[in-house]
Amino acid sequence: MNKQTPLIQIKNLDLHFGAFHALKNVSVDFHAGELVGLVGDNGAGKTTLIRVLCGIHTPSAGEVYFDGTRVKTFHPKLAIDQGIETIQQSVGLCDNLSIARNFYLGREPVKRFCGLPLLDFAKMREMSGRVIRQFGLRENVSVDDEVERLSGGERQSVKIGRAVEFKNRVVIMDEPTNHLSVREREHVNELALQLRDQGLLVIYITHDIFQVHRLADRIVIMENGEKIEDASTETMSAEALEEVIRQGGRIVEKRDAV
Amino acid sequence: MFFPTSLSRGAGFGAVVGVALMLSVFTVIDFDGWWTVQTVTNVLHFASILGLIAMGQALVIMSKEIDLSVGSVYGLAGIAFITLQPGLGVPGAIVAALLISALIGFLQAMAVLKGALPSMIVTLGGLFTVRGIIYVWTGGSVRAFPEEARSHWITRMLGGEFLGLEASLFWLLVLLAILSVLLWRTKFGNHLLAAGGDLDSAKSQGVQTDRTKTIAFVICSLLAGFAGIVTLADRPQTHVTLGELLELEAIAAAVIGGCLLSGGRGSLLGAVLGALIVVSFRYELIALGAPSSWFMTFVGIVLIIAVIFNQKLARAAGHSL
Repeated sequence: MNKQTPLIQIKNLDLHFGAFHALKNVSVDFHAGELVGLVGDNGAGKTTLIRVLCGIHTPSAGEVYFDGTRVKTFHPKLAIDQGIETIQQSVGLCDNLSIARNFYLGREPVKRFCGLPLLDFAKMREMSGRVIRQFGLRENVSVDDEVERLSGGERQSVKIGRAVEFKNRVVIMDEPTNHLSVREREHVNELALQLRDQGLLVIYITHDIFQVHRLADRIVIMENGEKIEDASTETMSAEALEEVIRQGGRIVEKRDAV
Repeated sequence: MFFPTSLSRGAGFGAVVGVALMLSVFTVIDFDGWWTVQTVTNVLHFASILGLIAMGQALVIMSKEIDLSVGSVYGLAGIAFITLQPGLGVPGAIVAALLISALIGFLQAMAVLKGALPSMIVTLGGLFTVRGIIYVWTGGSVRAFPEEARSHWITRMLGGEFLGLEASLFWLLVLLAILSVLLWRTKFGNHLLAAGGDLDSAKSQGVQTDRTKTIAFVICSLLAGFAGIVTLADRPQTHVTLGELLELEAIAAAVIGGCLLSGGRGSLLGAVLGALIVVSFRYELIALGAPSSWFMTFVGIVLIIAVIFNQKLARAAGHSL
């Protein structure tokens, strides 16, 4: 991967919600084929930053470049069209719909029948069926089953499978292993590495620096809406990064001052 | 095929059992009174009218909203149809009445979605506003539909018999087929069920949920308006109270038919069968000589039983393709 041209480049990003200054002069680059851990305490601004990338929030100031082109309009649909998929614990699948219907939600394939564009169930079943087997769902789960019947890990697998199938370029995982069993957590983490190995940019948001340190190529730490650290996992240990979080960036300031 | 799948979907299944049970009971307790051409024809006609409105209501409920204005829209469209007919002719009056209905649906949807207001409140406002318009517009009395308009071929196609069926039943079946395909076999339908089931997840996948819900509100108002036109094409005299309390019967029909007010689940066939249950109860109670006011009590009891039954059924079924 060419590290010179970031897939996503954020420059001097500011975001205000009324009087609240949610993101303060954040600049960070993300490259294709990289797994970046985005770490910080509650209210640090991780999710807010991600929501800008997903088109939910429009920044108050600063610039965002996607694949070298400046992003001017922020809208969830545009982000999805660009190939940015967000995987969140509680959002992304509708419990009342079948796996196949969920898999294609928002990009349903259609087949013309007497000129009418009707859902192509054969394709929806076949593709989603192949993917759920590949991503390790139980054998007795059918693509016609409602998502309500799936375990937490299986839900994450469906979302990750969907991200791969639709050839996304960026997969943002927001606390993807909360409430999962140990085995399910490992499975989801393996999938995250697979995505990275396929050349996707994976942004992995978590509180748990030790968990993500094992996976990530780079860790970005945020606090109070600011980026306080951006380091390779090869050069900084998980313990050192945890100390940065604990000290709230004062270590970095001291180090930079030297 | 959409009928078998929507039946086995669970949501519509409860209503099928309900209709079978009800018909068995009526057959046992009042065979001679119930199974007459007159009763069956009347029940089917009024069930079809209510069924049209209930289908629209079902779509809105499945999108996790509600429309309390359908009774007033039904009244306004019917009255607009006969009031505008002298100036616009029969086809013109129908188009105008449908446009008025669609506009009301659209305006309410805008208030709900752009104003982020609860649909219960907005459409309650719609219920009163539209009823008020009927009173102001007609001055309290509605003209009768003249003979030449009644004999117009379009009027007869909507109000008389059509291909050997009550016209209202014919239109109900046609629209049930079209809307079932729309709901279960198109992108729009998938988006509607998703928006009703889990709004945030639907949005996260790029579904334009506001647009989807707006279309549901407009279809609901259009169906209510169309039902009003069909009613007056068949029985050409009416007054300003046309459609009062009909919204509650339509909601009851949709809920008896398996629509969960929590959104995302329901059945159009179920809503139609729910309408059949509501109307049949009214007829049979009158036929048995019970005071007509008992009707409301019975509908209430059926509604509560149906909700309990459908909640359990929806979870047990667990299939949605």
